[in-house]
Amino acid sequence: MTEIDDLISKIVNNVQDASSSEPKPEPVKQATQALNREMTRDDYPLFQKHPEMVNAPTGKNVSEITLEAAINGQVKPEDLRISSDTLKAQGEIAKNSGREAIKSNMDRAAELTSIPDERLLEMYGSLRPYRSSKQELLDIADELQNKYNAVITANFVREAASEYEIRKKLKGDN
Amino acid sequence: MKRQKRFEEIEKRPVHLDGFVDEWPEEGFVAMDGPNDPKPSVTVRDGEIVEMDGKTEDEFDLIDKFIAKHSIKIENAEKVMAMDSVKIANMLCDPNVTREEIIPITTGMTPAKAADVICQLNFVEMMMAVQKMRPRKMPASQCHVTNIRDNPVLIAADAADAAFRGFPEQETTTAVARYAPLNAISIMVGAQTGRPGVITQCSVEEAMELSLGMRGFTAYAETISVYGTEQVFTDGDDTPWSKGFLASCYASRGLKMRFTSGSGSEVMMGYAEGKSMLYLESRCIFITKGCGVQGLQNGAVSCIGIPGAVPSGIREVLGENLLCMMLDIECASGNDQAFSHSDIRRTERLIGQFLAGTDYISSGYSSVPNYDNTFAGSNTDAMDYDDYYAMQRDLKINGGIVPVKEEDIIRVRNKAARALQSVFKGLNLPEITDEEVEAATYAFTSKDMPDRNMVEDMKSAQDIMDRGITGVDIIKSLYEGGFEDVADAVLKLLQQRIAGDFLQTSAIFDKDWNVISAVNNSNDYNGPGTGYHMEDELWEKIKNVPMAINPSDV
Repeated sequence: MTEIDDLISKIVNNVQDASSSEPKPEPVKQATQALNREMTRDDYPLFQKHPEMVNAPTGKNVSEITLEAAINGQVKPEDLRISSDTLKAQGEIAKNSGREAIKSNMDRAAELTSIPDERLLEMYGSLRPYRSSKQELLDIADELQNKYNAVITANFVREAASEYEIRKKLKGDN
Repeated sequence: MKRQKRFEEIEKRPVHLDGFVDEWPEEGFVAMDGPNDPKPSVTVRDGEIVEMDGKTEDEFDLIDKFIAKHSIKIENAEKVMAMDSVKIANMLCDPNVTREEIIPITTGMTPAKAADVICQLNFVEMMMAVQKMRPRKMPASQCHVTNIRDNPVLIAADAADAAFRGFPEQETTTAVARYAPLNAISIMVGAQTGRPGVITQCSVEEAMELSLGMRGFTAYAETISVYGTEQVFTDGDDTPWSKGFLASCYASRGLKMRFTSGSGSEVMMGYAEGKSMLYLESRCIFITKGCGVQGLQNGAVSCIGIPGAVPSGIREVLGENLLCMMLDIECASGNDQAFSHSDIRRTERLIGQFLAGTDYISSGYSSVPNYDNTFAGSNTDAMDYDDYYAMQRDLKINGGIVPVKEEDIIRVRNKAARALQSVFKGLNLPEITDEEVEAATYAFTSKDMPDRNMVEDMKSAQDIMDRGITGVDIIKSLYEGGFEDVADAVLKLLQQRIAGDFLQTSAIFDKDWNVISAVNNSNDYNGPGTGYHMEDELWEKIKNVPMAINPSDV
């Protein structure tokens, strides 16, 4: 167990070092709003049917991610990420295909795109059994809601906090 | 007793090395229809489930609570629960009833009801149901690529070999955990060399695995385990909520993900609560559904020895695959860990998923000889390729791979080893020599590989993480090494992560990066003449095994 914890903290440190020098992402281009309607399975695959919508969170369109650009150092790791809008669009496609549960996951994921890697890994760690007090979980929920506007995920964490209390999965319960 | 000679001889057969145990329901040694399994029930009040499978809300454990809240289509629940299980079972195997008609029913059931429906089906009926219920119309399979020395050059060559044979997904892991970044890079470069469009994963500890994905070394993950009792789930160091959160983390980075579960794990970990394997597995499948995860690897997986030892156990394993599909979840249907010494029983284990077709018939066909399989060996390995090809040809089945020519395999193995050589050079990792490239091209197992300095390799693996190397650096190294086509394949893989099309259910890519999933290739089986049919081009390949004699040559 301690080995894993060591590893996670090492990864966390690594990512922190790497991210501190990263430029802030540019404002997000609105993808789904361009069409002004919910996506359906007929819009799938997005890459083929709506390439103009496939933008990284930095605003770079997938068509700009060429081999030449990659070789010349014009593609940053942040340019290769999925955006919150694309995840929402994929969620709508899943729902239209009869898979609402997948949409709920995609909606949470859309909220999590703006959270740095290291903080996200920490939050996951805090949700594991016996790691956090109820207040600590509620604080994470507030952080999700207030700092990252991640309301759906915040409520998911609040629900966990309440269930962990009932079923004794909080810090000190083991 | 004076021994009867025939009995003595039969006892020398390999099947006598297998484990068989009598049922012992109190400890969970019962495959399905256990005497202590709850009777299906549900009560809905004000749009919420307040009673389920014999427990009231205040008696719910963490798993019940999660399922009641997130996993069941509540609006259909009471109506569906009132239906006769035999009738639902009948609809499942009736070719005249489409998948589309059944999903609203099966997604409104409780875990005990779903298990009860499965219990009504015999093995052949389950196969008929699987043929219709798998989400993706086209079946496929997945392979393992590992070696016990974590030799990166051999991983790359073996990955190219397996990709060329047609596995659209490949999984590696480590013998020594610190090798993870190297193994992840090696399998990715090798796979893209063998056939662009293959996606790869590296099965390691949860947080490490996610970190590899974030850096662009892997495209999907699978070994995110869920369990059917609260105690075992907690011992696995997670809860349904932490796993649900983790699922969203993966999606938020454009990574495909499926959970893993499988009957026998709760028995193995000592807390089966006296319930049958199928009922506990049903709970795992419902947790997966509730987390909004697109897929699940199940079918006993690494605990196959447990259901494999009890009566009706292998039937139960196909049943749990079917239950996964009934909840409209991608199913990677086991057939991975070795469980029998008998070749006849190995075939028996495979046959249900192989004949009916699943999203991934095997979730770990060992593409290397089992000697080098660090997942503890698989039910089928590289030595079984020609038998497998013969079965596909005999029965006209697409089992997920195609026959190959030796010279083609030599070519792609060599190219992959050289491509990785250039990546190591470009990233300043310990040199891969021409001697190693040659050895990996022609190797049978890792015994044929020259020794590498493992300490230096492990240091460089950590260095990759410390320096913040990403997929873009790999693309550059490939390009500079003259492997423009492989560089382009890795770039296309990273592009797909921006688009997220492969986050949809049962998604794989063809060689031109066209996504094939349950959204654009949904299973429309409705009796003979419908559903999946092998295209002529593929059938020509499957017919054309190199060992066949051409009559005109005789």
